Amino acid sequence: MLSWIQHKWTGLWLLMLALAGLSLFLYGFFPLKYHSGKLGHMDDLPNYIEGVSIDSHEVYNSGENSVVLMVIDGLRYDFVTEEYMPYTGQLIKNKSACIYVSVAEPPTVTMPRIKSPQRKKEKAQWRRTINFWRDIFAMMTGSVSTFADVALNFGAPAVRGDSVLRVAAARGRRTILYGDDTWVRLFPGLWTEHDGTTSFFVTDYTEVDNNVTRHLDTALETDDDKKPKFDFLVLHYLGLDHIGHLEGARSPKIKPKLIEMDEVIKKIHQGMMKWDRKGVLLVCGDHGMREAGGHGGSSPAEVLVPLVVLQTQGVQCPHPLGTGPTVEQVDIAPSIAWLLNAPIPGDSSGKILPSLLPTDIRQHLYLLHVTASHNAKQGLPTDTEFFKQFKRAEAQFARYLSTGQDSAAKIAKEFYEESLIAMSKYLTGNSTDFDVFALGIATVLLYFVVTALLCVTLYSFQEENCRKISITDRHKTSIGSLVAFAIVAIIMAIILTVVCFISETKSQLCSFNPLWSIAFLSIAFALAVTYVLVKTGVEKIKDLSTLRELNAIDYLLIVGTLFHSWSFFGTSFIEEEHMTWYFFWNTLMCFVLARTIVVVVLYFSKRWSGATEVQEKPELENRMSVVGIGIVPQWVLLIALHRYLRTMNQTGDRWLFLPDTADWLNAPENSFYLQGHIVVGTLTTLGICIWNGRHMNNYIHIHSLLTILATACILCYRISTDALYTPIATLRTWDSVAIVNVFWWILIFQVIFEILTYIGSFRPCGIKLPVSNKFTYNKPKEKSEDYFYDQMEEPWNVDDVRLNLARSLSHIMYNQLMLVIVLLMRPHNVVMVPSVYITCVITSKCLDHKLLDARPSRNVDVVDIIGRTLVHVWIGYVFFFYQGNSNSLASVDLGSGYVGLAEYSPVPVAARMGLHAYAGPALAGAAIFCYVAEVSYTWQKYLQAVWRVTNILALQRVYQLVMYCLIAIIFRHHLFVWSVFSPKLLYDFVATVFSLQALLTIAEIILLTHLTSWLAKTITYKRIS
Amino acid sequence: MFSLNDHLELRRVTVSSLVTCVYLPSIITVISYKGLLYSVGKASSFYILALIFVAELLKSFYLNSQNDIQQKKSKGKTKTGDLVKAFCFLLGITFCFFIGIILFGAPFLDNHEETLMLSCLLTLLALFPLVAHIGVEMAMQLLFGVKSFTRDTIIAMLVNNAVFTLCGAWLGAVVIPLDWNTPWQVWPIPCYLGAVGGYLLANVLTVLKVSLMSASTKYKYLNFFVNILNKFHISK
Repeated sequence: MLSWIQHKWTGLWLLMLALAGLSLFLYGFFPLKYHSGKLGHMDDLPNYIEGVSIDSHEVYNSGENSVVLMVIDGLRYDFVTEEYMPYTGQLIKNKSACIYVSVAEPPTVTMPRIKSPQRKKEKAQWRRTINFWRDIFAMMTGSVSTFADVALNFGAPAVRGDSVLRVAAARGRRTILYGDDTWVRLFPGLWTEHDGTTSFFVTDYTEVDNNVTRHLDTALETDDDKKPKFDFLVLHYLGLDHIGHLEGARSPKIKPKLIEMDEVIKKIHQGMMKWDRKGVLLVCGDHGMREAGGHGGSSPAEVLVPLVVLQTQGVQCPHPLGTGPTVEQVDIAPSIAWLLNAPIPGDSSGKILPSLLPTDIRQHLYLLHVTASHNAKQGLPTDTEFFKQFKRAEAQFARYLSTGQDSAAKIAKEFYEESLIAMSKYLTGNSTDFDVFALGIATVLLYFVVTALLCVTLYSFQEENCRKISITDRHKTSIGSLVAFAIVAIIMAIILTVVCFISETKSQLCSFNPLWSIAFLSIAFALAVTYVLVKTGVEKIKDLSTLRELNAIDYLLIVGTLFHSWSFFGTSFIEEEHMTWYFFWNTLMCFVLARTIVVVVLYFSKRWSGATEVQEKPELENRMSVVGIGIVPQWVLLIALHRYLRTMNQTGDRWLFLPDTADWLNAPENSFYLQGHIVVGTLTTLGICIWNGRHMNNYIHIHSLLTILATACILCYRISTDALYTPIATLRTWDSVAIVNVFWWILIFQVIFEILTYIGSFRPCGIKLPVSNKFTYNKPKEKSEDYFYDQMEEPWNVDDVRLNLARSLSHIMYNQLMLVIVLLMRPHNVVMVPSVYITCVITSKCLDHKLLDARPSRNVDVVDIIGRTLVHVWIGYVFFFYQGNSNSLASVDLGSGYVGLAEYSPVPVAARMGLHAYAGPALAGAAIFCYVAEVSYTWQKYLQAVWRVTNILALQRVYQLVMYCLIAIIFRHHLFVWSVFSPKLLYDFVATVFSLQALLTIAEIILLTHLTSWLAKTITYKRIS
Repeated sequence: MFSLNDHLELRRVTVSSLVTCVYLPSIITVISYKGLLYSVGKASSFYILALIFVAELLKSFYLNSQNDIQQKKSKGKTKTGDLVKAFCFLLGITFCFFIGIILFGAPFLDNHEETLMLSCLLTLLALFPLVAHIGVEMAMQLLFGVKSFTRDTIIAMLVNNAVFTLCGAWLGAVVIPLDWNTPWQVWPIPCYLGAVGGYLLANVLTVLKVSLMSASTKYKYLNFFVNILNKFHISK
């Protein structure tokens, strides 16, 4: 098992394991029930009650109704009193109307302070949509939404499944909306008529409501038959909520607003009286309001909202006066659906409001039966008490139908009501439960993985000679260790099984059906593997003296990285994660600045005080010669550059709406500067790519040509998308898709060309190679005198060539990555790409231990690698946020997914969006691998450095995952679990996938070098010799 | 860091630190009592800087008094020249602070007034005592680590104060992004108060340490605390 810890890619395998663990975690974290998307049909209505036939269409028929749903945003339960709303209060008092206490879904985010230019409106709109989502979703589909509904729909947050509007449209009902256009976006194409208002200014609380009320008179008008023009009308009033946000629930403006609402109710009620069909008015709030005016919590004032049901034709409220019975928000959907004479929406789990139920006992019982059987069809377990109750009720109902006994009807009604309450509790509860067992197991697995990674990383930090396998180790039989491993695995499996039974969990993981058993066993296997790794690690880590060379900056890097994960215990640190990184990065830049200034001044003062001293202290001269005096001004300019980039995009949550440089650049009058940014960014990238060409083979001019062509493609693409002005008109008409295709072909050709030249396939063509060819095999020196190495030493410089190939491939990868990202970036963000490169280069130069440390030390390889890897991780994160990303799903740039694509296809779009979002980390990660390839002067050193870097990167990634998973478990019932914690979890998942992919790319490059050198050995090698 | 050998210096250090521990909290108390605490970033609060300036000047006179005859002699000759030089140096340092603070994240286009006040405060607390005590050239040499200063108790204290002040201002920025929506989370109040707090903390630590050191001659176990305090002082 020792070989495992020595294997160069163990870190990669462990990262894969961590990804599997994270997937399990996500499975447990996102609620189990997903909406089936089943659509309701009239034919689904039961025609037989325990064998007794009944005419479903006739009994279900609710007659001709027109329903008005009036949603008053932020209407709190205690607002509906005679004091605030006299007319409504009067109606409730004389039992013309019923009032219920409705329990709203806690909304997810509070409304942001919106004052922003056009560009950010999309983000704001998204946030608002999510804000309304849960309440409207519950009211219109009759089921509680899950995070998956939001996450899978982002971009186009429309309700895909069944809803009241869908069934109404299917039955040919006329539906009208006046109010916030979120409704239109949630149910596109389902409205017969709509006038959506956008209300971005929270300070506006009169205009938004007037926009709704202005249509009311025409809508309430009747035609000649005294029938209204609609069947279902939705009015959404936002003014009350806006006042609440502005001035709180005790504001003097609240009362006039409520009286205005009361007037609207009066108007509708009096309008309904004139109809010759039944009119039903439902008045409800979608959420309440805190005393301070906000909402987003789960306190009673925010969650308890009134639901007033008003019916014409003299229907009396059956409930006694008082607070009224408690109903769920999901009950509105089946009620409205029934009133519209439409089937109940497919995923509905509610019941019909009691006051709407008809007095006719047969119909009454039938409706109860319909809702109960509808709920029962949604995968309820049949062995529960409420299901049995439902069956008993059904039996009683059948008895009533056949015999007509009133007692049977009474019993049936009671039983139905009891089972309905239990059913909807089960259904809503089931969809919001976490699979805690899976969460726990996933976190434990991740902990094992992170410990194993720590061991592997520390092991890799040891000096070469400490890692030599001792002779005793070699004599250990592999069979013995295999048996030991098997025993450990079995023990792990047994422990897991015991835990399963002790915890009595309902988790699928413990269901022991064949598919889940595979997962179960592989978890046990993974735990055993990590256990073995940790055990060997603890035994074999003996000498960590290399870590003694860590200096203050390294400690800052390590402590900062460790602390960053802990900061997530505060929600605002998740929302404003960029602030943490900016602060760390500033501190680091400040440290480095102070250190470099000290070194440079010291050097100068020594130099001036006397030349002899410099000669006496060659190491000072040495330290300076690496970087030169220019490092201080360079560093100051770098700080200035970062200051500029930080202003480019406001991100996070609190300051998102402040104007930033990107807004300024995107203003039409400043398009010249925006184009300047594009051109400067693209051309600088071109320059960097050509400069990187020096690491490639001897056909540098061909590489340069290809790079220039690719850059030309990028510029053409920008022209064709109107981002760049050109006097040549024909360029603008070129097809952007074709240009991007050409771009891809150029990149692919470049890689193939490089490998072909390596193999030497151009030699037969008679092209003469320059002397400086990096890919020729030769015998460097005859070492015949050296007896020790004679037998082992390779006579050919295979390793050098291999290193050259790895270098060249790494740089090609880096170049192409830069070009692709330049293509994907938003115009104002193009300058980020060269900035990452410049930052990486200067920082790598400055974080040299030989330069910064006062005393010269011998062995700084390991600490150099640690410092540089961590600093590249930091750079990646900093640029991730510079670019305008945040931990909210709203900041995902959907536009970048469609660059060079004519139509939607999931994989390319997702890959582009991911690469665009993670451009900073990807570039910084590629930079560290290029740097490693550049500075290692032997193949062995290169492999070792790559090994260490891989381990550190994997460790950092998994450490952050583990911490975050733990935090997510602790805060799983937190109010912000949807808006803050879950998106961050998704971001972490994507980040893990991408870091895995990045490390795989490096592994592929090394594999390719092995492969080609093996090829060369078998073919070329013989021919030359 | 401090040696018990030079009792005179030790006494001066203690007295000056004690004075700081008294006058700085009283200024803060008075302005917070007057309800002016959150206006420290405005130019209208310049009188605070003036007060601190006067206090620091008096302290440095005290620290410098009868220092040694040689220095006194040279001082008498080029006093005006020194003053001009020191003034220019401090102005330059203030400007450097100003640029530095903006580079490290202060608002770029507006709030220059607040940033300038903060940089004045930093100069006043961190560098002015040093310059007043040892002169411009020595201060510059100290800043760039050319000369080592560990021998001199007073200078050690001053450098320590400076480092704590800067660290305090730096750490003060941590609270700005939090979503508590309090009135003091406005630029540059946390940094301003952080700098004052850091300076105060350094002085309190000095007093504490000197008293512990003198007490530890009697009670040996107190040495443990002295060692802990020694760790706090940044000696490089």
